[in-house]
Amino acid sequence: MAILVNASTRIICQGITGRQGSFHCERAIASGTNIVGGVRKGKGGSRHLGVPVFDSVDEAVEVTQANASVIFVPPANAADAIIEAVDAGLDLVVCVTERIPVLDMVRVRHRLNTGSTLLVGPNSPGLAVPGVSTLGIMPQGIFLPGRIGIVSRASTLTYEAVDQTTRNGLGQSTCVGVGADPVVGASVVQCLAQFMRDEQTEGIILIGEVGGTSEERAAEYLSSLTDRKPVVAYIAGQTVPEGRRMGHAGTIIHYGTGTAESKIGALQAAGVTVVSSPIDIGRTMADQLSS
Amino acid sequence: MYLFEYQAKELMRQAGISVLPGAVATTESRAVAAAGELGAGPWAVKAQVLAGGRAQGFFNNDRHLPGVVFAETSLEVGSVAQSMLGSVLITPQTTSEGEMVNAVYIEPAIAVPQEVFLAMLVDGDSGQIVCLLSKKGGQHVEQAVGVDPDSLIRCNLGFGEMLTTEASLEIARELELSPSASEGLSVVLKKLHRLFIEKDLSLIEINPLGIRQNDALIALDARITADDNALFRQSKMAALGSRSASSSAEQIALREGFNYVSLDGNVGIFSSGAGLAMATVDAVANCGARPANFLDVPPVLEVSRVKQAFLLLFSIQKINCLIVNVFGAGIMRCDTIADGLLLAHLEAPVGIPIVMRLAGTNSELAISRLEKSGLPIQFVENLEAGARKIVSIKEQDGSTLTHSSWAKKAWLRIRNLI
Repeated sequence: MAILVNASTRIICQGITGRQGSFHCERAIASGTNIVGGVRKGKGGSRHLGVPVFDSVDEAVEVTQANASVIFVPPANAADAIIEAVDAGLDLVVCVTERIPVLDMVRVRHRLNTGSTLLVGPNSPGLAVPGVSTLGIMPQGIFLPGRIGIVSRASTLTYEAVDQTTRNGLGQSTCVGVGADPVVGASVVQCLAQFMRDEQTEGIILIGEVGGTSEERAAEYLSSLTDRKPVVAYIAGQTVPEGRRMGHAGTIIHYGTGTAESKIGALQAAGVTVVSSPIDIGRTMADQLSS
Repeated sequence: MYLFEYQAKELMRQAGISVLPGAVATTESRAVAAAGELGAGPWAVKAQVLAGGRAQGFFNNDRHLPGVVFAETSLEVGSVAQSMLGSVLITPQTTSEGEMVNAVYIEPAIAVPQEVFLAMLVDGDSGQIVCLLSKKGGQHVEQAVGVDPDSLIRCNLGFGEMLTTEASLEIARELELSPSASEGLSVVLKKLHRLFIEKDLSLIEINPLGIRQNDALIALDARITADDNALFRQSKMAALGSRSASSSAEQIALREGFNYVSLDGNVGIFSSGAGLAMATVDAVANCGARPANFLDVPPVLEVSRVKQAFLLLFSIQKINCLIVNVFGAGIMRCDTIADGLLLAHLEAPVGIPIVMRLAGTNSELAISRLEKSGLPIQFVENLEAGARKIVSIKEQDGSTLTHSSWAKKAWLRIRNLI
């Protein structure tokens, strides 16, 4: 088993006819991902990449019984696309789009609070279950079905962790990029909790970065567990000096959190092995599992 | 996108928030004239930079001159303006390189009996707009709140729906001001909240918000950050920004949508993906070298955009070597990186040594193409090896190629490749 998706998940793509949507869906379909349709207003009734295209998510759901969506819609319309998918009652929505206005995401979060949809992203590379499903832009060819759950706030750094766990034979159960925007859907904690429950997952890699409070929240969650799977973490931005700041609010809002020291300290206190270089992620995970 | 104080105050004035009359000056004579127009003095002369902490700052050529100075006479206003203009101000909120001062803002200097801190921003955890308030307003608010966390009041303002009068009054009352000041504060909160949403802002900060003898509120300083991602629908805000983009590197970054931050060192960094870019900065710094920048080029299909990213780096004079760290995945292919570098070199030939770590999609193709180009590139297997290579290059100072000697020869070879 994996988390969030499985072979029976029926996936549609919003923005399937666009350049990015086409490129990634074509590869996903070729590798066996169960994409059952696409949505593009004005192109309903046509076919693209061998699947039917609909004018709206509602129509797509009615015809295909889809329960998940991956969104490749330009930033100006992406929030509306997410809300359309939530309104249609989908279980899972993965949004790849970068550069969505933050107040649009505030509106999206409001809608998510009263629905049952889990949103991954935006500004996310998506999620992948090796050999089963790719929702998003994660590359083919670096995955290996296996034992490690990967949850990441970074995009390309995620692939480093995937690549290393493939090379050392551990493989991945599921790899989730929660997205790098200030306001996202699924949290790191939610993903960790899913991995803790997932039978296929034996160890978890957490890729964090400076800013926000996700890693501190993850540490709080992990501390609350009595018996848990090993977790290896890497935090990017350990030496990034503070850039220009505007005023004090950004510092004050989460006093004492957000820095690499705060995150590393919190995770270590929770018993997480934090590596100082990304090249040590895979090796350290292997050591943890064999000891 | 950051706004200057005078731009932020103009937006607040338009939104009905009380601010002092003020004038922008870019020359000494204009500063003297502006002081006269504003009344009899004394005046505050305030350096306009896109960072806070000005009162605690100093100038590169006059370490005793802060970024905010009070002047008794209009001649003094002129001489302070003269000292500030064209000089670089370093504050606790700038990088150690500081910020060039191209304008000063002159206001009447006033004293108020009480100063409070007020900010609005989006909280990533709850996904809401939040308001921060503290009675400990002023330049030491961070320390004050650190020592006494209870002095910070934090209120959720919801998900973008308009704030009701009752709700804003309830929030204002938490600061325990006099009844009339509370009422004034609630009006300010409502107006700022509307401004925040209408202009797609990501930060409003008034520190201090002065409370005058008669309980009237006045914004004595103002910080506004606009959401870069919303500029496409905020053309007036975008226009304010084009006037304030400073270096050519920042202009390219803004235009192309690259995440770019200038740092203090001289090792140029090119990467794709913010996390990988940060890891690259980490690795270079951990080896004892000093990164010149953070640059995250989003995954792109177009070679022209990769070229722009290299041109951005080549426009930074202080960079004397470059590390490129790319994991080709999805639409970002390593051969796009290679071609972009070659094209950039055609436009702005560079002789600085380059260390490249290319992995993932089409990395072999990219490396073979670059090897044929004759560019001074050394390829490495992983990030740590790259960082160590950069340090060894920097140690053998003087071996750095200058482009004049070999650029012409390289040109022909490159042109044949792409």
